[in-house]
Amino acid sequence: MRDPYSVLGVSQNASDEEVKKAYRELARKYHPDNYQNNPLADLAEEKMKEINEAYDTITKQRSGGYSGSPSSGYGGGYSYQQSYASANPAYARVRNLINAGDLSQAEQVLYEVGQKDGEWYFLSGSIAYRKGWLDEALQNYTRAVQLEPNNMEYRQALNLMQRGSAGGYRPAGYSSAGCDPCTAYLCCSCLTPWGGPFC
Amino acid sequence: MFGYVRPFRPELKCKDYDLYRATYCGLCRCLRRRYGLIAPMFLNFDFTFLALLLWEPEDTFTPCRGRCHGNPLRKLPMCPDSPALELAADESVVLSWWKLRDSVRDDGFFGGLPARALSTVLGPAYRKAARRRPEFDQTVRGCLEELNALEKESCPFLDRTADTFARLLQGAAPGDGERGRVLSQLLYHLGRWIYLADARDDLEEDKLSGRYNPVAARYGPAGDDGALRLTMDNSLELVGAALQLGEFGCRKPLLENIVYLGLPLVQRAVFDGSWSEIKKQKIWRNDT
Repeated sequence: MRDPYSVLGVSQNASDEEVKKAYRELARKYHPDNYQNNPLADLAEEKMKEINEAYDTITKQRSGGYSGSPSSGYGGGYSYQQSYASANPAYARVRNLINAGDLSQAEQVLYEVGQKDGEWYFLSGSIAYRKGWLDEALQNYTRAVQLEPNNMEYRQALNLMQRGSAGGYRPAGYSSAGCDPCTAYLCCSCLTPWGGPFC
Repeated sequence: MFGYVRPFRPELKCKDYDLYRATYCGLCRCLRRRYGLIAPMFLNFDFTFLALLLWEPEDTFTPCRGRCHGNPLRKLPMCPDSPALELAADESVVLSWWKLRDSVRDDGFFGGLPARALSTVLGPAYRKAARRRPEFDQTVRGCLEELNALEKESCPFLDRTADTFARLLQGAAPGDGERGRVLSQLLYHLGRWIYLADARDDLEEDKLSGRYNPVAARYGPAGDDGALRLTMDNSLELVGAALQLGEFGCRKPLLENIVYLGLPLVQRAVFDGSWSEIKKQKIWRNDT
């Protein structure tokens, strides 16, 4: 196992407060919320596990064998798998395939289903969303809600998407509100081969 | 189509600015060494970003001094040749050439003359680059063909057309291993974002010339900035999420600046129309 201090990116003689801060920042970064429906979710989960273990080890060492679980707030065990059941066995299979990340197979199974009802559009939207095709996902979710306005699952998915993302994780100092667009600065003025007035 | 991926300069630390400049100049030199005096014409910010991404995370920043291509009297710090720079240089030649061929086909006989002339000059360089990176050449050719077919049939699905360009850029990084997975996810969504930004930028122009525009085909001739922003923000978020999972060593802060500040700002500029203004005025020549 890697040195727990290097996992958290702090030095051996960092104070408890610093360790905690580093841990919090990393936990915020790799939080499962940021990787919902992301094909890289497993990598994030691994990282999360690693930093949880590192933090556990350090706190244990420092408190002389105390083995409390400090990571209660940031557990890696989040589960966002939907528990909705499908009446149609083909749809159930599609849901499983989407959860397993096998999108092309899921798409194929879905296209073999003859009639298109609300759930068909919902699942088709979920596949598009997994691929990052937000526009198509939005169209399909909207269609699903139109066909079955009383279904809470479809409605929730659509609302979540229309609200837009909160922007995901951003490191400290990169808040989106912080930079007023003085667009002139966008340009790296002196990078031209013929040289600007660089001093 | 190029130049959207750039850092936000006021928020760059001096060391990151130096790193960016040295990478840019290093890429220029690498292009000149590998492909001759014409090749640095195709240097741009996007491929600098690609070189930064592809760099081995363990490599520290150790610039050497070299003569500037534009002004040989000046010596500038630049990154020495490395596999990442070479890959980025090869790929920029391949992509630029296919892009030129594309314009030759699209712009008719007279409009396409400049592109035709350029592509003739770049021909030998392209053939060399294609020999060096046959898979990337194949990917670019295949994806652009698909894109052309979709454009011909005026495809109204935004995601499908964007997907072709996204896959094209995805091919720029080797996709195996954990690092490869992160890079291809990052590049895929970056490619999607670039394609959409470019489409939004060309909206007016395409309307006047009556050309196909994916944004117009999807949302109508006036476009729909709210919906487009939503989907582009989502791509940026995915780029950021992938960036956090990769190891980039000393280049991480610079990459973060580009992804979290540069790209959103460019996006805003594209939406409010100031982007074309910036390109036209060439503000980047001076610092005001």
